Amino acid sequence: MPPRAVTKSVRKTGGLFDGVKSNVEALIIGVKYFIDPKRMTMFYPKEYLEHRPGYRGFIVLKKEVCISCAACARICPSAAMKMVRVSEVDPKEPAKQRQKQYPVINYQRCIFCGYCVDVCPVEALYHLPFHDVTYESLGDMFLTLDLFQKEPLRPVEKEGVPVVYEVDETLGLVKRERKGGG
Amino acid sequence: MMVLETILYLIAYPPLWHVLIVGLLGAFFTAVVAIWFERKTAARVQRRIGPYWASPRLGGFLNLIADMIRYILQEVIIPRSVDRVPFVLAPVAAFVISIMPMAFVPLSPYEKFWPVPNMDYSLLLALAISTVPPLMSIIGGWASNNKFSIIGSIRESYVITAYELIFVISLLSAAATYTSLNLLTIVNAQSPIAWLLFLNPIAFLAAFLAVLMSTSAFPFEIPESEHEVVGGPYTEYSGILYALNMGGAYVRRFIYAVIMSLVFLGGWAPYVPPADGPLFAIIIPSLIVAIKAVILVLIMSFLRAVYGRYRLDQALDSAWRLVLPMALIGLGWGIVLGLIL
Repeated sequence: MPPRAVTKSVRKTGGLFDGVKSNVEALIIGVKYFIDPKRMTMFYPKEYLEHRPGYRGFIVLKKEVCISCAACARICPSAAMKMVRVSEVDPKEPAKQRQKQYPVINYQRCIFCGYCVDVCPVEALYHLPFHDVTYESLGDMFLTLDLFQKEPLRPVEKEGVPVVYEVDETLGLVKRERKGGG
Repeated sequence: MMVLETILYLIAYPPLWHVLIVGLLGAFFTAVVAIWFERKTAARVQRRIGPYWASPRLGGFLNLIADMIRYILQEVIIPRSVDRVPFVLAPVAAFVISIMPMAFVPLSPYEKFWPVPNMDYSLLLALAISTVPPLMSIIGGWASNNKFSIIGSIRESYVITAYELIFVISLLSAAATYTSLNLLTIVNAQSPIAWLLFLNPIAFLAAFLAVLMSTSAFPFEIPESEHEVVGGPYTEYSGILYALNMGGAYVRRFIYAVIMSLVFLGGWAPYVPPADGPLFAIIIPSLIVAIKAVILVLIMSFLRAVYGRYRLDQALDSAWRLVLPMALIGLGWGIVLGLIL
């Protein structure tokens, strides 16, 4: 059966004066917020966002746990993680040197997806709960094996106050100071 | 004391005081304050902070000063395809002409402080001159030779046809009430508190909406809406020419507000200027007028926080079907008032 054109009669809602009414309502809401603003801006260097556990931030390697399986380097979608070959003292036979591969990361490419942390069979990689760290040059963002094992400093923690955003029933997001040692 | 008196007389030399100090400096100051207020108010209503880090104690006011310096020092790029002379002249002419009505309004009841010898047709002259600057933005848009500017100019011309009649009719209601086009008569008749704002609020509201439309304040920011026609008539402008265009809207808003505060808010109304010396005869009354005008401009700026932008057809629809009848009702009520008073 072919489709038929049906004219629906939509009742015209609202005239000019309904428009006036809704304009006045909008103005009243504006004046209400102008008198009592409920701001939620974060003053960033003085306050910083305290992320929840499980946040996918900077990645740190535990070298002694790593088994050199290279799963992290293979799964990395942006090819930020590579394996490097290092020669080191074999812990079982201290007289001998051995060759082993470890991951290093290039933060120019990293998209903080966390696949490497998820795929690691021995949990040798873990996330830090932030990623607001600056580097002085692009070259510094290629981490060496030594740097990859250190947790980077977060400068904002020294001068700022941690805050969290919570969902309020009437206002939506509201900013609160973190309670206790959280 | 003679020296101080002489300096005061020099400052209050009418063309200097009216056009340069109250007109140019006042409009300039008002533009900066209004832009700052607009940004802070919109931020306040939308639960943000607005400009802050440039000067936390002044609420980020220095941010605007820095913006101004940037506009002054920026390179002015004149594209090869534009019509050079009108392209450069249009914003300058618009800025200069929009201050000109200040030469024809009285800021003092005494004749020696007027820039023109006679105030008999001052309302008509001020209105007539205030209708010229929008044409300049049309010229600038046309000279830019760019599709966005031409669309913006066409929108501007649509809006001009809508608001100009409203503005003139609603201000002429005051002339109908006091049977005079002399602004001084109108101001004196409203003293001390019988302001036309209270006697004829419908005409005041119509004039207020017409000013919003004419200076593309927020609900009617149609000619230069960024999302639709990049910068409207000002797409090709850069540097100081763009600042003249953008600040020109705020300057015009201030000048319109001065005319409105003379006609509707009673000018220097609660204050009765004595005849001695320039300080009490002109400087204080004109400050009162300017403060009333600034309050009007700030109320107009507040609307940015609340409103989105009307479509062109919605704005024209409300202008012709709602605001023009309002202006006509205001004119009729003005005539009735004239018969009563």
